[in-house]
Amino acid sequence: MAEYWNVNPDYEISAKSFLADKPEADVSLEFEIAVKDFVNAGKGSAEVKNTLKRLGVDPAILRRIAVASYEAEINVTAHSEGGKMYSYIYDDSVYIRFEDKGPGISNIEQAMVPGWSTADDLVREMGFGAGLGLPNIQKNSDLLHITSEYGSTTTLEIIIYYS
Amino acid sequence: MAVSEKKYYHAIQLIPENCTGCTSCVKVCPTEAIRVRNGKAQIDPNRCVDCGNCVTICKFHAILPKSDSLDIINKFQYKVAILSSSYAGQFTEDIAYPVSKQALIELGFDEVAEEAMVTDFMVGLIRDYIRQHKDIRPILSSNCPAVVRLIQVKFPSLLPNILHQEAPMSILTRFLREKIQAEKGLKDSDIGIFLIVPCVAHVTAVHQPEGAYKHLQDGAFSIGMIYGKIRDRLRKMNNEENKINTYEQGLTLALSGVEAEMVDCEDIRALSVNGTDNVIEILSKVEDHYLDQYDYIVLRSCTNGCVGGCLNVENPFVAMSRIKKLIKTSKHQKVDTSELKELYKDGEFAVVPLEPRSIMLLDQDIKQAIQKMKKLNEILVMLPGLNCSACGSPTCYALAEDIVSDKASIDDCVVLLRRHQKEEE
Ligand SMILES: Nc1ncnc2c1ncn2[C@@H]1O[C@H](COP(=O)(O)OP(=O)(O)OP(=O)(O)O)[C@@H](O)[C@H]1O
Ligand code: SF4
Ligand code: SF4
Ligand SMILES: [Mg+2]
Repeated sequence: MAEYWNVNPDYEISAKSFLADKPEADVSLEFEIAVKDFVNAGKGSAEVKNTLKRLGVDPAILRRIAVASYEAEINVTAHSEGGKMYSYIYDDSVYIRFEDKGPGISNIEQAMVPGWSTADDLVREMGFGAGLGLPNIQKNSDLLHITSEYGSTTTLEIIIYYS
Repeated sequence: MAVSEKKYYHAIQLIPENCTGCTSCVKVCPTEAIRVRNGKAQIDPNRCVDCGNCVTICKFHAILPKSDSLDIINKFQYKVAILSSSYAGQFTEDIAYPVSKQALIELGFDEVAEEAMVTDFMVGLIRDYIRQHKDIRPILSSNCPAVVRLIQVKFPSLLPNILHQEAPMSILTRFLREKIQAEKGLKDSDIGIFLIVPCVAHVTAVHQPEGAYKHLQDGAFSIGMIYGKIRDRLRKMNNEENKINTYEQGLTLALSGVEAEMVDCEDIRALSVNGTDNVIEILSKVEDHYLDQYDYIVLRSCTNGCVGGCLNVENPFVAMSRIKKLIKTSKHQKVDTSELKELYKDGEFAVVPLEPRSIMLLDQDIKQAIQKMKKLNEILVMLPGLNCSACGSPTCYALAEDIVSDKASIDDCVVLLRRHQKEEE
């Protein structure tokens, strides 16, 4: 499987050691994302945002989390056969993983290029397909890891620190 | 974030004798401020934003609006009424607007002014404010007190986006106070200025204005409360035409869509949103910067804007259609706003930076908050997930939250209790 990594150098050590250990989270959320369900897509990220609001996470950080998770959620509904969003909430960070049922991304490097999109007509009609989602996820996360291959599934993981 | 400790005033009152504990109000409150405990509704003053939804829904007259008694105007030598724009939509079309306005004079006021008088000035002020604050997008309207309070309670990060200027009726109050003192040689304390308002939120705002630097109004009367008296006077007046000035062209402030259209221009893109649920959805998007392309958003808690206020008597759509007709069929009345412009330039309409009323935090300490959240989730999976409100909390989630905050117990869940009883049988 092809992989794509992007890590904020300030958090390189903690993020990598986090992924190696994956400590159990006290608070975790799960959300089902159905294919082309633009009515409900976005609710998973909204739930994460509202949970974090109650924990007192800084509004600027909340926004980064909301944007990154929303874009990833929309990508699953728009470009895949559906999947799941798993959110793990810690006292210093949030780790969110999106797993879908394929068809995968043939060239991740290319998909990361701003403006590059394979969105179909329905997706464009819904106002998506500018090719800016993945770059936006990268900009707003401290760690982004994508594992995918054409004809297979896609897993997208992000970590965002609160300070 | 610092949260001020002051007690919040609300222009609603609970009448426990009338409350049946039916939980209708619990379900419609946008900030989950209401609980039914021991069979009676209770309102958390820190959460209530005065939207009036509970007043509208309660069929048992157990949640009533508070309104000042009309007698208080007699404490003042010179009495002024300021009409909120939705007033014009409350009367059948056989009653001419000037006559419905004259009726207030008959009721005992010496002068009747209209919010509509400052509409053109307001549009100019709003546009200027938007242009002066290019670093903040979008600017959010401050006219609806329920929306301002909703932002304080649920979206504190958006407080800097609120248009930090007085609302039109308060601007008019400032202006009239000075004008009447000069023209009539009266002292400030001799002049009583009262608002005729469509909603609970405006009554609250008169009693506890957010951000005001100066003394403004002396009281507020709801349209619903004075309507009967007005109809009485109208009957006696026989619909006789009078020479009172009216400002129909300015009535646009009662209609959120039309207000947005007026502010919208070449360099300003405006959006109009009304109804509590829509407002909440849009504010959440603004928070995530998905609506930065808008320069200004007109936000009103009620359907169609203030014509939908809970203390109006007419249906919001009918009232809107009447007001639109009045606007279309009237002539423009010029209002001299040069003095207002001076006051604005001197910063006289600015308000104190608005403070949060944050209720969202589970705990000040994030580690503690996470532990509470963990417990909350553990309780949540035990609850049936029906969101039936029979426990007195709006949702199963809210009950779980009440339990971790020691405000309720799991035994409050009627469905679980019943299941246990069945098992025992
Ligand atoms: N989960 C996924 N499964 C399959 N392909 C994906 C997935 N996520 C992204 N892609 C591919 O990557 C491309 C770029 O994604 P990106 O989110 O950057 O843009 P977009 O979704 O096309 O448009 P926008 O996000 O601006 O609405 C997509 O057009 C799609 O081809
Ligand atoms: S007025 Fe609105 S916010 Fe206040 S308790 Fe009633 S429904 Fe809730
Ligand atoms: S929209 Fe108008 S009538 Fe309704 S609460 Fe706000 S100010 Fe009052
Ligand atoms: Mg996308």
